Amino acid sequence: MKVYLKTILILIFSGTLSNLGFCQVQLPQTPSPSSFQILNPSQNVVGTNTGTPINFTTPANGLAVYEKDKKLVEQQEIQRNQIYSDLKADLINYSLPGYNHIESTKYYREAYNKLTELDETDFSIEKATFIIENAYFEDQQNYEEFNEVVNQTGDFLREKMNDLGYDKESNLAKNFMLFQFFSDTLEIKSKDLKHLPLKYDFDDYMGIKDWSKMFVSKLLETGKGQCNSLPRLYLILAEEIGAEAFLSLSPNHSYIKFRDEEDNWFNVELTNGMFTTDSSILQSGFIKSEALQNEIYMQTMTSQQLFSLLLVDFAQGYARKFGYDPFVKKVVDRALKLYPNNINAHMLSSNYLTMEFEYVAKQIGIDPRNKQELQNIRHFPKAISLLNQVNEQYDKIDNLGFEFMSPQAYQKWLESLQESKQKQDNQEMKEQFNIKLQPLNK
Amino acid sequence: MKQSLILLLILIPLCQSLSAQYDDRYENSFNTLHEMLLDSSKYDFKKAVFSVENAYSESILDTISLNKKIAFLKELSQRLIESRTLKYKGKDKEVVAKYAALFSVLNDSIPIQDSEGNIYSYVPYSYDFDDPFGHEEWNNMFVSKLLKTGKGNCHSLPYLYKILAEELNVEAHLALAPNHIYIKHKNEKDGWYNTELTSGIFPIDAWLMASGYIHTDAIRNGVFMKALGDKESIALCLVDLAQAYQREEFYDVDFVIKCANTALEYYPNYVNAMILKTEAKGKKMENFLLRKNTDFKDVNNYPETRELLAEVQNELTKIYELGYRQMPEEMYLNWLVSLKEEREKYSNQDINTFNATN
Repeated sequence: MKVYLKTILILIFSGTLSNLGFCQVQLPQTPSPSSFQILNPSQNVVGTNTGTPINFTTPANGLAVYEKDKKLVEQQEIQRNQIYSDLKADLINYSLPGYNHIESTKYYREAYNKLTELDETDFSIEKATFIIENAYFEDQQNYEEFNEVVNQTGDFLREKMNDLGYDKESNLAKNFMLFQFFSDTLEIKSKDLKHLPLKYDFDDYMGIKDWSKMFVSKLLETGKGQCNSLPRLYLILAEEIGAEAFLSLSPNHSYIKFRDEEDNWFNVELTNGMFTTDSSILQSGFIKSEALQNEIYMQTMTSQQLFSLLLVDFAQGYARKFGYDPFVKKVVDRALKLYPNNINAHMLSSNYLTMEFEYVAKQIGIDPRNKQELQNIRHFPKAISLLNQVNEQYDKIDNLGFEFMSPQAYQKWLESLQESKQKQDNQEMKEQFNIKLQPLNK
Repeated sequence: MKQSLILLLILIPLCQSLSAQYDDRYENSFNTLHEMLLDSSKYDFKKAVFSVENAYSESILDTISLNKKIAFLKELSQRLIESRTLKYKGKDKEVVAKYAALFSVLNDSIPIQDSEGNIYSYVPYSYDFDDPFGHEEWNNMFVSKLLKTGKGNCHSLPYLYKILAEELNVEAHLALAPNHIYIKHKNEKDGWYNTELTSGIFPIDAWLMASGYIHTDAIRNGVFMKALGDKESIALCLVDLAQAYQREEFYDVDFVIKCANTALEYYPNYVNAMILKTEAKGKKMENFLLRKNTDFKDVNNYPETRELLAEVQNELTKIYELGYRQMPEEMYLNWLVSLKEEREKYSNQDINTFNATN
């Protein structure tokens, strides 16, 4: 669902340097002294000194001389290759070239500075989201306008809560209000205001054609969004009306968690406007127990973890607009510092490292997907260490409990959320809320 | 009256000496396990398991014939490895070939030929639906019983698997689910995956999660579905030991608590050890009140029991917070069977290529 996940996955799994291909390759050993015995001068002397009579006396020795010469030639060949490689190695650029010469990258660098000024343990998601999206739009967006929309929506929600007689302090009431705002038609008759439910946008929901499809600003403009922008807007509005709500991840997906006054937790699925149970999320079949133990899926994100996820979105926007360069790496590294098991950051990082290795391999003149050719990087210790980094990154992702979920499987799972059992669970939860909120109804 | 008094007098010392005898056996097994945990003796899962079973079997466990059977199974696994080629092509294929052989040995019928050329069909191990919880016979939980009868449960089957894996010099991780134990392996291509011996399937994690009795917190906290290390596996044996001990006619509650505490030192979120401990403490309170000629209504009137009660309450809260929920036994069996019924939905398609021979 998430654009970046998808694109990265395509990269990893569908061919460009398939990670499995890489893992299979026996890593070339760094040349050890023993493989260069050739350089031993005494050996050279023996080999070339064909003048000694003994060498001529028997044919067997003649063969030995031939063998020695042949070996010598081979050894010299290797030596020559080594020298060429060393010369070449000095000319190789071991990191991806930067895009700083492109004028509009400056908006991203400026935005990054603004983001680092925020306190990651206590920041405004509204501001952070604006900074991120505005960088993509090259500073053409207006924060006042954005803020105005959020404020007005906040007013609408407060007004409606009042209308319904909900307890203004109750976290359950605020979240239930937000839930209805996303999934129902809401009216305030006295003021002739009406809000229609927000819709799930099936068109390019991974933002492959247009990255800005993932944005909250697009959702606000069109009333349609996907599993990235819908939860994001929910959090922005929750911040506006002072509700406590958390982002949570599942494979290719994100959703909202909140709790009531008695510490009961609820999951809000915004792509279909329903409450879901943990088991319906687990039923997707792509969540391993390690993923829960390592806190990559289904836990409530802390402020710092959320900030880390936003940074990955930010870096992904940059990569989509310009391509991969050290700026992407810088942002991802910062994201991993804040949330070391951030699966999205690890995916983006593996993508980056893969690109970087391919770039270096190309300069050396080898095709990294060709096992035979790949062996030739043994002359380039730096390239070897880059390849090791790529493999370590893939291992890390495996160890975190990540499992690849295809877009088809994802779609199938989203549809399964519409099944009758899920509808029933949703209905029961809604009724439960209505009962809990009842005494305050006028 | 007089007669019965004499009888009692005779019985009391007899009981004491009896209890002392088996106390020794359990104490010995405890020491064997504890030494492995302290690294003062070498870790050996087979030795650990048999020491527990030996204690319960009054020290007459026929280890010679058991070892023979294990040696046979090891030999059979090695022959299997030699005779077939796996589809799996990862770098770690030699290790994976051993996992695949072990799986076949426990689940598949295999034709074998003896030195005289006679062909036999090797009969694999099966799940015993009679008394899977060892209510009638505690022996039913044992690897020794499994080796003798060919039938086992979710306790003995994974234990035997782990023992055999270690005989073949590969790792096998035990993992827990409510009332259940299964095997976890990791390979280069598929990452972590599960091996379920009671039904001979490689289920995906969603099957376990869908049981409805595994709270996500329990997974997060490593209560369930965690690949256990060697010391954690010995902690499991310690609780087995205490449970076997409780089956004896008389038992010392403090020994049970000692086993539980030691297990918790090495596997702090081992819920079965916590439950064992709270139950033992409950028993302790009961015994104390009985001696005072009263019952639970006076639990708060004695500092000894008041303190124990407070401890138990704290421990129960912790168990709940870790995400543990009890699964009724009937539900457990239904769930176990569901794996066969919903094979398509829950089996790991990647791993099933293991079954392919040649």
